[in-house]
Amino acid sequence: MSVLSVRDIRKEYPGVVALDHVELTLEAGQVHILAGENGAGKSTLIKTLTGLVTPDEGSIHIEGQDALAARGLFEKIAYVPQELNLFAPMTVAENMFMPFSRSGFGTVTVSRRAMEKAAETFLTRFGIRARPRDRVGQISVPDQQLLQIARAACRSDFRVLVLDEPTSSLTAKETAHLFQIIRALRDEGVAIVFVSHKMEEIFELGDVVTVLRNGRSVGTHRMTEMTEDSLIHLMSGNNIALDERFQPRCEPGEVLLSVDHLCGPGVSDASFVLRRGEILGFAGLVGAGRSELMQTMFGFRRATSGRCVLEEREIPRGRPDRAVAAGMVYLSEERKHHGIFPLLSVRENISLSILDQLTSFGVVSGRKEREKTREIIASFDVRTSSPDKKIRFLSGGNQQKAIIGRAMARRPRLLIFDEPTKGIDIGTKFQIYRIMQKLAEDGVGIILVSSEMTELQRCASRIVTLYEGRINGTFDQATTDINTLVGAIIGARESRHAA
Amino acid sequence: MPPDTIIDTETPPQSRATTARALVARLSSDPLGGVVAALIIIFIVACCLSPYFLTRFNMTIIARSLAFIGLVTIGQSLLMILGELDLSVGAIGGLSGIAGGTLMVQYGVNPWVAVGLCLLLGTGCGFINGTLVTRLRLHSLVLTIGMAGVYGGAILVATKGVAITGIPHEISFLGAGKAFGLPIPFIVLLVCLLVIVFVMQKTPLGRYVYAIGSNPDAARMLGLRVAGIRTAAFATAGFLSALAGILMVARLGSAQPSIGDTWVLSPIAAAVIGGVATTGGIGSPLGAVLGAVIIGIIENIIVLFGISPYWQAIVSGGIVVLAISFDAVTRRFLNKGV
Repeated sequence: MSVLSVRDIRKEYPGVVALDHVELTLEAGQVHILAGENGAGKSTLIKTLTGLVTPDEGSIHIEGQDALAARGLFEKIAYVPQELNLFAPMTVAENMFMPFSRSGFGTVTVSRRAMEKAAETFLTRFGIRARPRDRVGQISVPDQQLLQIARAACRSDFRVLVLDEPTSSLTAKETAHLFQIIRALRDEGVAIVFVSHKMEEIFELGDVVTVLRNGRSVGTHRMTEMTEDSLIHLMSGNNIALDERFQPRCEPGEVLLSVDHLCGPGVSDASFVLRRGEILGFAGLVGAGRSELMQTMFGFRRATSGRCVLEEREIPRGRPDRAVAAGMVYLSEERKHHGIFPLLSVRENISLSILDQLTSFGVVSGRKEREKTREIIASFDVRTSSPDKKIRFLSGGNQQKAIIGRAMARRPRLLIFDEPTKGIDIGTKFQIYRIMQKLAEDGVGIILVSSEMTELQRCASRIVTLYEGRINGTFDQATTDINTLVGAIIGARESRHAA
Repeated sequence: MPPDTIIDTETPPQSRATTARALVARLSSDPLGGVVAALIIIFIVACCLSPYFLTRFNMTIIARSLAFIGLVTIGQSLLMILGELDLSVGAIGGLSGIAGGTLMVQYGVNPWVAVGLCLLLGTGCGFINGTLVTRLRLHSLVLTIGMAGVYGGAILVATKGVAITGIPHEISFLGAGKAFGLPIPFIVLLVCLLVIVFVMQKTPLGRYVYAIGSNPDAARMLGLRVAGIRTAAFATAGFLSALAGILMVARLGSAQPSIGDTWVLSPIAAAVIGGVATTGGIGSPLGAVLGAVIIGIIENIIVLFGISPYWQAIVSGGIVVLAISFDAVTRRFLNKGV
């Protein structure tokens, strides 16, 4: 008997059918991959499995019993959401065992010592580099991510573990460790649901895959029967050439941006140039200072010394408004914190950067605004039921496309993409690569910060590597092999090259 | 859009049922629906409770007293939409009023020049608040508690707690006079409200205010001049408080040190009743002023009813809580439908 079976469920939101007759069966001791493009319905399906969303039609059975009738059964499903969801000012142990009455560490008073002792075992097991008494806000983001998984797994009564893109901020080593843990849990008979956009992970970990497309399940297959091509084909419904390259097909021109000895918090003595017509990639470990460097150039963080010159105009320190006025646009990795305006509609989010161009006599013209945003929504393929929908209800990929559309509307001279394809499906990814390539060929400077080596190799003309806040190498993409790059990223000395 | 909603409630009925249904549909689709519905209900209840409520005399009283608190409410709601709060608006209003009075009475400055200087002072006080908040990156709530002490203290230093009497008659019509059958302060309120609503709904600047309130980091990343807009909003709130302060001085014919004492908390309550979120990004100054109308009617009814002064605070506070809950419940109900 299957641990969990979903039969024929349908969920409709105003204007969208999120799930349309979806089927899913989870078996004990299997890693079940859930694949699909952004907006295919993965999140809604997961929320249905965990009892957060009640389907309009269909049934959910957990170990043979009807879970929609006896909702207590949903407690057997442990869920690790994609976003960090911890209590930062509290300790690691407290986070792990809250609510205390349920974990058995306190009904009236909390038995702190016993709890911290119990936490130790989980910390070791999950390889979390923190002590039970540390404040969660002070441990690193990967550790927080692992803690979140440990928190779900420390309850012994769960039969299903749902992991929604758990590796998005983990390094390769941490990911490998996490996979060991997942396999161990699987061998103990837990059914695992794993959502990821990373092909290597899907093929490394998965036993079975269910593909969703536009809210429908298009099939469940054994991973051994699948190839990368066939899986992508199932997800997107059309063919994508995996070996396609996106380097701009033109010779680099004059210097567009030059950064001289820039210093600031997390950035020491960074110097580089960007030429017209090239895509400059930035590689480095999580925490190597890539985003810090970009944000310091852009003025979002204040530089302590050094210069940043765009087309012979110096960008003043700590003034992102002046950087934007000079033609620099920064697309942050933190879409939720730095990108979208959650309370505003898709239309308002998009038009915000160009409102000054949409006015007549100082008044925003509703007609111009609607026309312009409709145009952007169409040309960037933002999928929304209406432009007046609040942007926070869109899937991550569609939010990202809306933000890119907004940035492009200003006709920037320099665009900085900071992890533009984080959590984004492969079809959309390639759309973004094509946009970058086209822009670079049109003479717009493009900087691409990425943790994915394949992404940098696919798009960048040159790659700058950062290690502990310093630039430690610049490589020509065409003549450099991946080992040299990886060497530079992890700070191996002999990899130092002259640019 | 929102003004239509109010007018709609007064259109002559073709048939009662269809009008009612159209009204409900209108209210449920508009963000101001909750507060307008609450206002209508409270108005009807007030009419039923006291025969003296719906009289020209009483309406004038409500309109006049609403004007002062309403002006402060506009400024405060602006800041709240930005995600800020200014607890020194009352003290700024009082200080500006006192300064105006002192200039006119003790220094013999031309009353109109004095009014101008007093508005400038209020704007300046707001500007200082805004500059301190943005430059030093202070929490506006805490900073303005301190600034309320500073400005409030300045009132006491200047007056030693004694009212300044003998305000010139030239300006007393500003507080006591009428035009087009409406009290002048109320007209000032309408004009200010109109200007601010126009800016908030029709201009890029207004949109930027909502964007900053919704996500200040993203607004900075987008290149909006967040610090400048914040400072300007504080200055505007200061200006509106000073306007309320000087109108109050004109109304009373004397500059009382206690002016503005009650202008801190009820505008915040009014804004929340009117649908402005304390966390920023949501609501409108119009809604906030409608919230102030609700509070004004409640206070008026308490007086008309002759409730013992000892009980007044409890009753008016209780009704404010009811009004907020009513709004929250309607909104949840309406959201389900959408």
